[in-house]
Amino acid sequence: MARAGRLSLVEIILWGLRIAVVIGVVAGTWATLSAGRLEGDQWRTLVILGIAQGSVYALIALGYTLVYGVLLMINFAHGDVFMFGAMTAFFVADALAGGGFLNANPFLGLAVVLLVAMLSSTLVAVLLERIAYRPLRRAPRLVPLITAVGASLFISNSVRGLYGEQVKAYPRLDILEGSLDILGIPILKTQAMVIVSAVVLMLILYWFVERTRTGRAMRAVSEDKDTAALMGINVDRTITTTFAIGGLLAGAAGVLYALVFGQVHWFMGFLPGIKAFTAAVLGGIGNIVGAMLGGLSLGVLEQVGPNLLLSGAGVPSPNQLRDVVAFSVLVLVLIFRPYGILGRPETR
Amino acid sequence: MRQASHLRGAAILGLWAGALMLYLSTVGIVLAFAERNTVTGVLTLGRVMLAVPPLAVGYVAARRIHAVGGPGSRLIGGTLAGAVGGGLLAIGLIIASAVDIREILVRVSSGLIDFVGFGQGAAIGAFLNIAFGAVLGLTGAALHAAPPRFRRPIVAGALGVVVMSMLEPFLRPRLQEFELGFLSRLLYESRGLSIASALVVFGIVAGAVVAWRPTRATVRRRLGAAGPEAQSTVRWASILVLILLLLSLPQLAGPLLSQVLVLVGLYVLLGLGLNIVVGYAGLLDLGYVAFYAVGSYLTALLTSPTSSLGWALPFWVALPIVVVGAAATGLFIGAPVLRLRGDYLAIVTLGFGEIARILFLSDALKPWFGGTQGILSVAPIFGVSAVDVPLLGWRLTGPTLTYYPLLLFCIVAAFVASRLKYSRTGRAWNAMREDEDVAEATGISTVNYKLLAFALGASVGCLGGAVFSTHLQSVFPGSFNILVSITVLAIVILGGMGSIPGVVVGALALIGLPELLREFAEFKLLVYGAVLVIMMLLRPEGLIPDYVRRRELHDEGTDPIAGTGAVGLPAGGGGAS
Repeated sequence: MARAGRLSLVEIILWGLRIAVVIGVVAGTWATLSAGRLEGDQWRTLVILGIAQGSVYALIALGYTLVYGVLLMINFAHGDVFMFGAMTAFFVADALAGGGFLNANPFLGLAVVLLVAMLSSTLVAVLLERIAYRPLRRAPRLVPLITAVGASLFISNSVRGLYGEQVKAYPRLDILEGSLDILGIPILKTQAMVIVSAVVLMLILYWFVERTRTGRAMRAVSEDKDTAALMGINVDRTITTTFAIGGLLAGAAGVLYALVFGQVHWFMGFLPGIKAFTAAVLGGIGNIVGAMLGGLSLGVLEQVGPNLLLSGAGVPSPNQLRDVVAFSVLVLVLIFRPYGILGRPETR
Repeated sequence: MRQASHLRGAAILGLWAGALMLYLSTVGIVLAFAERNTVTGVLTLGRVMLAVPPLAVGYVAARRIHAVGGPGSRLIGGTLAGAVGGGLLAIGLIIASAVDIREILVRVSSGLIDFVGFGQGAAIGAFLNIAFGAVLGLTGAALHAAPPRFRRPIVAGALGVVVMSMLEPFLRPRLQEFELGFLSRLLYESRGLSIASALVVFGIVAGAVVAWRPTRATVRRRLGAAGPEAQSTVRWASILVLILLLLSLPQLAGPLLSQVLVLVGLYVLLGLGLNIVVGYAGLLDLGYVAFYAVGSYLTALLTSPTSSLGWALPFWVALPIVVVGAAATGLFIGAPVLRLRGDYLAIVTLGFGEIARILFLSDALKPWFGGTQGILSVAPIFGVSAVDVPLLGWRLTGPTLTYYPLLLFCIVAAFVASRLKYSRTGRAWNAMREDEDVAEATGISTVNYKLLAFALGASVGCLGGAVFSTHLQSVFPGSFNILVSITVLAIVILGGMGSIPGVVVGALALIGLPELLREFAEFKLLVYGAVLVIMMLLRPEGLIPDYVRRRELHDEGTDPIAGTGAVGLPAGGGGAS
């Protein structure tokens, strides 16, 4: 009996939290909208920026989801894989821009930069798996997670030592200056480019996982490693492939992120990494479509949320609290719906 | 055929060593220590770091070959491994001196190229590197070939020389203060050991190691033969000596080292708290800094006259409120999240840690927490800035004053933790950690025990925060980022999850050592990351393992050390730390 009583204490706290969240959201939204602080255009700008940023999150989130799918581990260092690609490609982009090549041949130049970023991220991701995670595959679940936290710190600080700690400004492309007019909605060209590239990459990934042999092997390994091995699938190689694909997407995301924000530095992997993980959980971890949806919704929530919920409540400088919104989404999703939007409840 | 495969294995090991040396050079560690003399005029710490990888692979290569090959092939294998390592570094050296890559790898300066090339230019430098690599590899292999009787004293002696040279900046002023200046002049010569004193230190340490084994055996035998009363007397006497030593430590160490001691003490306290959560209950908390921050801010709010509350309570009155408030925070955060599975819990706590930091920093809560300016004029711990100890004539201020209450808190926390460990609660945690379902089935209310662990950990963390804010007499939101959580985690992992002495050793190694080696500060986080990875790969039970935990980790994982790929990285941390 006593136990049931205690449990209900936790339940009470949970219900209190639910009610508080609903009241907060409703009251904040109502207050903001009735005060009419932002124009319709401004909301639209925020949403588009959110989609652009969200598509970058989605690309990173895919790496978390793929790895979680096959290994059931959170690759905490994935944000730093993303950072490494962006940082390494910076030097190529800088060299190309210096010679004027980048603006003369923007598509080829950008392709080269993307390729370098994707390859260097892939290299780190594969090395990480080989050196740090593979020996721990049968260890208790927290062991690889602690390793991943360590690896994250190690990679970011190595980059700080190797490439220096100053912020590096990514070269700007003339072709991406200004904005496009799509169906009467002005969209910054950079953002349009980011959204289009991300969507293309995600479609390719979807095709790869659903239609190719390797993709089928990946799905089999994520269902059941041992049975997959019995069916003649090389599990080790499939896991390496999974990390490599995660790395490719993260590298591409790195360049896109750099194009949106115009700069890179050694600590840039941490926040996008956590947020992409949030996106992956939000969509249902292990679920590829979920990661895409989760990324987009988190991006939009993050841009719109602070302004919509907080500014009406009279909170000063709500955009300072943008990360709080992202983290609150993370905490709330994990507490109330840990299997995400598209995921199924896990038995254990 | 077999010979060839050994040599190939040795060469691959050599490549790892070479990669490691290249990494250490390009990441900036080597040059940072290039100025620090180990043996003046002969050896600098930077050189020692470059020497460790080939030495280590020489040893490992010899050990691998040992199972099948004779002594000759062992030595050849070691030499080859070292030479390949040196060769890789030589290639890097030639490339770096031919092409300017400083635009990309910022640390590859002419100074570094000079240092790695022994100041002899690229060609001769490359040759020298290969030669030294070969000699070091051979030495490593010879160390393996030598009987342990010789190996132990040699390794210990070499370590002793390195440690003594590192202690120079602290030892020299202290020796002078105690009228022992002649000793420091004997020992040190322009910031390093002189050749003669290096030999003496080597001899003393090696001799001590040689003498130690038989002595230890004798002492054990004598103690075993003595009655239980004598044994208990010896135990109490050693505890008394330890306490006296701890009490007089700040006086012996001086104000500079006392500051280091306070830092170490703070992290010991945090480590003890996290140890309850991670080590005992098996809940990975990556947002432990949140409790540290809550403790600091609560103390500041209650004791500072300029805070929004303005109560200006004395520290010791505020303390119970802080601890209770902390436990409540722990319960509040813990209650909703504790039903989550382990890895999700880790991420949620991390989220809470970041939320706490951003809220303390934000303009929105500025009226309460002061935003970026933090809260100033927090009450000093005894309400005054200096205390005179009557009989001893000691005047305690700043760190030497904070040290004592901190020591008290640490001892209390350690005592509580050690009593809890084998209590009913501790056993429940233990069961829960090993298998939650089985624990639940045997009637343990896992939610309650998790909450208890969380609340206890939170209280200890808050205690740390309280001491921190009263020591600095101010709080700033910048002090409470995720890196604090990870540092404390690294301390607990290094020492051994669930091990109380492990926390002390971990804090000394990860907080104390970087403070002693100023050049090291820049690479502290790098090393913490490496420590976490290496410990998990090679020794998940930690340096001073808790007995139960050790069995648990080695029974569950079939073989955590499997896979050759693990070799390269671990050697890296060894060289870096």
